[in-house]
Amino acid sequence: MLTAVAIIFIIAGPFLLLANRFDLPTAPLLIIGGLLAGFFIDEDIVLQLAQFGIALLVFTFGVSIQLSAIGTVFRDSELAALMQILVVGSIGMALGIIMGLPIEEALFVGVAVALSSTIVATALLQTEVHSDLIRGRLGQSIQFIQDIFALMFLLAMGAGVLELDPIVLQIGYGVVFLAAAAIVNRHVFPWMTRLAGGSVELMVVGVISILVVFIGGAMAVGVPMVVGSFAAGLAIRHDPAVYIGLFNGIESIKDFFVAIFFATVGALVVIPFVEVGVEASIEKLTLVLVIVALTVIVKPVVTTAILMYRGYEARTSTLTGLSTDQVSEFALIIAIEALILGLLTQSVFDAIILAAAITMITSSFTQRYSERIYRSLANRGVLSERHGKTDALSEVHADISNHVIVVGYGKKGSRLVDTLERLDQPYIVIENDPALRDDLRADCESYVFGDAMDAYTWEKARVASAKAIVSVTGSPIVSRRLLEFDFEPGLILRAPDERVALQLIEEGALYVVVPDLLASEQLIKRISALLESELSHDELRAEGMALLGLDETD
Amino acid sequence: MAVDVALSLDLAIILLAATVAGFLARQTGQPTIIAYIIAGVVIGPVALGLVEVTELTETLAELGLAFLLFLLGIKMRIDEVKHILAPIVKISLPQMVAVAAVGFGISYLLGFGIVESIIIGLAVMYSSTAVVIKMLNDMGEATTLHGKIDVGVLLAQDIVVVILLAVLAAGRPESAVEVATTLAVVLTLVAIITVAALAASKYALPEVFRRVADNKQIFFLVAISWAFLFVFVSDEINLFLEPFGMQAYLSIEMGAFLAGLAIAQLPYSKDLKDRVNPLTDLFVMIFFVSVALRLDAEQLLFYWEEAVIAAVVLIIAKFVIFFALISWQRFDSETTFLGSLYMIQVSEFGIVVGVAALQGDFIDVEVLGFLTLVALLSMSVSVYFFEFGDRLYRLSDPYLSRFEAEETFTEDERVYDGHAIVIGFDDITRNVLALLDEHFEDVVVVDRRIDHVEQLTEAGYDAVFGDFGSSTIRKDVSLKKAAFVLSSSDQPEIGKIILTETGDKTTVFVEAREAADARELYDQGADFVIRSVDLSAERFQSYIEALIKDPALFNRAIDSDTALMRELDPFPAMHERMEGRLDD
Repeated sequence: MLTAVAIIFIIAGPFLLLANRFDLPTAPLLIIGGLLAGFFIDEDIVLQLAQFGIALLVFTFGVSIQLSAIGTVFRDSELAALMQILVVGSIGMALGIIMGLPIEEALFVGVAVALSSTIVATALLQTEVHSDLIRGRLGQSIQFIQDIFALMFLLAMGAGVLELDPIVLQIGYGVVFLAAAAIVNRHVFPWMTRLAGGSVELMVVGVISILVVFIGGAMAVGVPMVVGSFAAGLAIRHDPAVYIGLFNGIESIKDFFVAIFFATVGALVVIPFVEVGVEASIEKLTLVLVIVALTVIVKPVVTTAILMYRGYEARTSTLTGLSTDQVSEFALIIAIEALILGLLTQSVFDAIILAAAITMITSSFTQRYSERIYRSLANRGVLSERHGKTDALSEVHADISNHVIVVGYGKKGSRLVDTLERLDQPYIVIENDPALRDDLRADCESYVFGDAMDAYTWEKARVASAKAIVSVTGSPIVSRRLLEFDFEPGLILRAPDERVALQLIEEGALYVVVPDLLASEQLIKRISALLESELSHDELRAEGMALLGLDETD
Repeated sequence: MAVDVALSLDLAIILLAATVAGFLARQTGQPTIIAYIIAGVVIGPVALGLVEVTELTETLAELGLAFLLFLLGIKMRIDEVKHILAPIVKISLPQMVAVAAVGFGISYLLGFGIVESIIIGLAVMYSSTAVVIKMLNDMGEATTLHGKIDVGVLLAQDIVVVILLAVLAAGRPESAVEVATTLAVVLTLVAIITVAALAASKYALPEVFRRVADNKQIFFLVAISWAFLFVFVSDEINLFLEPFGMQAYLSIEMGAFLAGLAIAQLPYSKDLKDRVNPLTDLFVMIFFVSVALRLDAEQLLFYWEEAVIAAVVLIIAKFVIFFALISWQRFDSETTFLGSLYMIQVSEFGIVVGVAALQGDFIDVEVLGFLTLVALLSMSVSVYFFEFGDRLYRLSDPYLSRFEAEETFTEDERVYDGHAIVIGFDDITRNVLALLDEHFEDVVVVDRRIDHVEQLTEAGYDAVFGDFGSSTIRKDVSLKKAAFVLSSSDQPEIGKIILTETGDKTTVFVEAREAADARELYDQGADFVIRSVDLSAERFQSYIEALIKDPALFNRAIDSDTALMRELDPFPAMHERMEGRLDD
C-alpha cells in the first residue's frame, strides 16, 4: 500500500507543477495523473484511503456551510438552481437514453451534467467570493444547492433501489444525523475544546474521531458514509478564525487524502484505445463528448437564461452561468459509489470521469475569459441589457454634485460613510449585495444598487460631477475595471500589499490604500510620541482603548 | 469489483481509543505519547484484543515515521548544524559501542544466550527518534543546542540501524566478507541518495518551489510528492539494484529525512512545516498505538521481570554514558544534562531490529517481546524526564557544575539589557524598525521564517530564528530585561506570555485580531494593543478629512506614501518621511 501511495504522489508531482504553471485547478490534473498511475498500481489497494478523501471532502463542505448565509441563498437562487438541475439533468438523461443506455444509468449521466464543481468553481471564483461580489455569492449559492441535491441523491442511492419506502427511511436517518450534528456542535465540541486545553494536536485528532464516529454511525444504520461525513462537518462547524490551527490542520489532512481520491478515480478509468478495443472506445468517447457538450454549452446557457428570467442583470447572469460549466466532484463521488454498488457500468463511469477532468480544465479557461465572452455576446446583441432593476432599487438625490462615490458598503464602507456624514460631505454608495440592501436603505441618503463593473451604474451615480471615488473592495478585478473606465474624478483604491498598490498607481489610480502601511504609520506616530515622552503610558492606553470602543473604566 | 465501501473498523477503533486516551492524558497532565502507547496495549491483543495490525494501519504507521523524519529534515538547515557535526560524531560512535556493551552484559547476566545477547545489545543502543523528536517539537526545543545534538546523534544512530538491518536481512552471514560487502553497498547507496538530495536542493528545487510557493495546496502536495519520491526509492531500492544483481535494505525514514533536508535549505521550509505537522501528528499517533499491537500478552510478558531490570539498567547507563560523552565534548552543564536526559529510552528501532532478527532466525519471538517491553517501558519513563527536565536540571545544577569544562562549547550568543524586541517581521513591524533602532542600542527581531532572518541580518539587525512560544528563545533574547517589546503575533497566548514575563518597566505593544482578545490583553497590562484594522481605518479617516478640508495636505500625504512604496527599501526610515500633520 505504501508503494501505491508513493507512486500516486510521485506521478502527481509533475502534474501539479503543470497545474501551477498554467493556473489550472488541481483536481483534473490529479485525475489525469491517476490515469497514468493506474498502469502501475492496483486501485483496490488505495480505495480505502480514497474513501477518506471522499469523507473529508464532504466533511469540509459541511464545515464551510454558513447557516446565516443560507437564508439569503434561499431567497436568491434556490428556484434558479433547482430549475437548472431539473432542465439540464433531464436533457442529459434524455440524451443518455437516446444513446441506448438503460434508464438507471442515464440517470447518472443526467446527474453528472446537472451538477457543477464547488471546489473548481470556488477556487476560480475565490477573488469574487472574498470581495463579496454578488456574482461570487450567486455562483456559490447555486453550487451549494447542487451539493445539497447531490447529498440527497447519495442518500437515496444508499437505499440501493430507487423505491419510495427505503428512501423515506433513509431520509429519516438523514434527519437524525442532522440532529446529532446540532447536539455535537452545541455541546460536545465546546466541551472538547475545553478539554484539549489549547493543544491543536488533540483538537485535530478529536475532530477526526468525531468524523469517524459519524461515519461509523452511518455505516451501522446503512446510510452512505458521505451523509455521516457531512453531518460531522456540520457538527464541528465553528468560527475558523478562532480555531485557525485546527482548521489549517484539517485542511492539510484533507488535501492529502483528497489528492489520493482524485488520483484513484483517475486510476479506476479504463483508458480508451489503450486498455479496450476500438469499438468500445469510440462508444465511450461519444458519451464523453455528449457530457462535455452538455456541461460546457447547454448548462451555462440554461443557467444564464434562468437567472435573467429571474431578474438578474445580464452581466451577472452570464458570468454566473459560465461559472457552472464543469462536472462536479460530487458527481465523481456519486459515480464511484455507484460503480462500487454495481449501479453503474465501467464504460459510463469512465465517460463521467473523463468528462469531469476535461470540463474542469476547460472551465478554468472560460472563467479566465468570461468577461470577454460576456462582452462579445453583449456586443452581438445576444443579451439584452436591462436597467430596470438598478433604477427601481436605487435612491439618488436630484441635486447631488461634487460628491464622493463610495464603492462597497461593508464594514469599511459604512465607516467611511460615517466620516463623510460627519463632515457634511455629500456622497453616493454603490453596492449590489442584496444582503446589504436594508442597511443601505436605512443608513444612506443616496445609493445606487447595481454592479460597479457596469457602466450604467456609474452614469446613475453621476460620476461626471463627482469629486472623488473611493473603492473599499480590495478585489483587483474590480479595481482594474474601474481604472479601465478612465473616470474624470480621482480614484482611490485598496490593495493588499505595496506591490499591487504600485501597479494600480501606475495604471492611473490617484492613491491606493495599503492597510498595513497606514497602520504602521499610525503605530509609528504613537511609538515615536511615547519614546519622545510627548505621550504618557496612560494616555497611550486610553487612546488604544478608545480605538477599540472601550473605556478605561470598562 | 469486490471492495467494501466501509471504512476500516480497526482504524476507527485505533483513532477513537487514541483520542480518548489523549484527552485523558491532557487532563491528568501526562504526555500524549504514553496515552497512545497505552491505548494500543488496551485495545490490542495484550488486553482486549479488539484490533490487530492490518495493512492499512501498518501503512499509516509507517507513513507516520516517514513524515516525522521528513518534518525533522525540513527543520535541519545545514548551516545551523555544521559546527556541531564533529562533536556529534565523537559522541555518537562511542555511545553506541558503550550502550551495546551494557545491553549485551545485562542480557547475558539475565540468562540470555550469546547470540541473543549480542542482538539485544545491538537493538538497545539507539534512542527513540519518534519520542525524542516528537517531544522536542512539542516543547519547541528542536533548534536548541541540546536539541541539535540529540537530533544529530539520532541520525548517526539511524545510519547504523539501516546498516544493521541490511546485515540482518541477509540472514546469518557466511563470512566477514559478506558483512563487509553489505556494509559497503548500503553506505554507497546512502551516500548517493544524500548527494542527489543535496544537489537537487541546490540546483533544481529552488526554481520549482519558487514557482509554486504562492499556492498553498500545490506547494504542500508537491513537497509530499518529493518526499514520496525518496520514500519510494528507499523502499524499493532492490528494484533499482536488480539489474546489477545486488540486494540491499534502506529505511524509508532515512529517505524521508533526506527529502526533508533538501527542502530545508530553501527559504520556504517554515510554511511547509506547519502544513506537514498535522498530518504527521495523525499518522504518528497511529504509529504509537500500533507499537503494542504486534504481540500478544504471552509473548510480550514472557520475560517481564528481565525487561524491567534491563530497562532500569539501560536508562541509567544511557544517561551516564551520554553525560560523560557530551561533557567530554565541552558543552555547558545544561546542554549536557538535558541532552543526556532526553536520550535515555530504547528506540522503536530496537523492535524493528528485533523483528528483522526474528525473521533472520537469530532470536525467538519471546526475545522480541522482551525487546518490545524494554522499549515501551523506557519510552514511557523517558517522556516524564522531558516534562520535568528543566526542573530536574535546576535541582541538580549545583552538583553538576563541577563537571562543566572551563571553556564550554558555545554558539555565539549575546547578552541583552534595556533593548527592544520585535516579534514577527511583517509589513507593519518592518516600518517601525528604523525608529526603534534610533532609540535603542540593540534591536532584536524574532521571526519564524528563515528568509526574514537572513534579510534582517543582512540589514544589520540582530535576528533570531524561532518561535516566541519557546522558553529558550525568550531566554536567548532576554525578554525579562527588555525595555520595549513590539509583538505582531496575533496569537493571544504569545501576548499573554510577554505580559506575564515582563515587568512594569517594559513598554509592551502587542497585536490582537479579535476585539475580545485585545480587551483581555489590556486587562493584563498591555501598553497598547495593535489592531491593524482599527489603525488603518483611523489613518484613512484622516486622509478623507484632509481630502475634503485641505486637499493640499492630502496630496502631500499621498505623495509621501507613494514615494515610500516606490522606494522598495525593506527598512525605510518611515518616521522621518511620513506626513505627520494629518490629524493635528
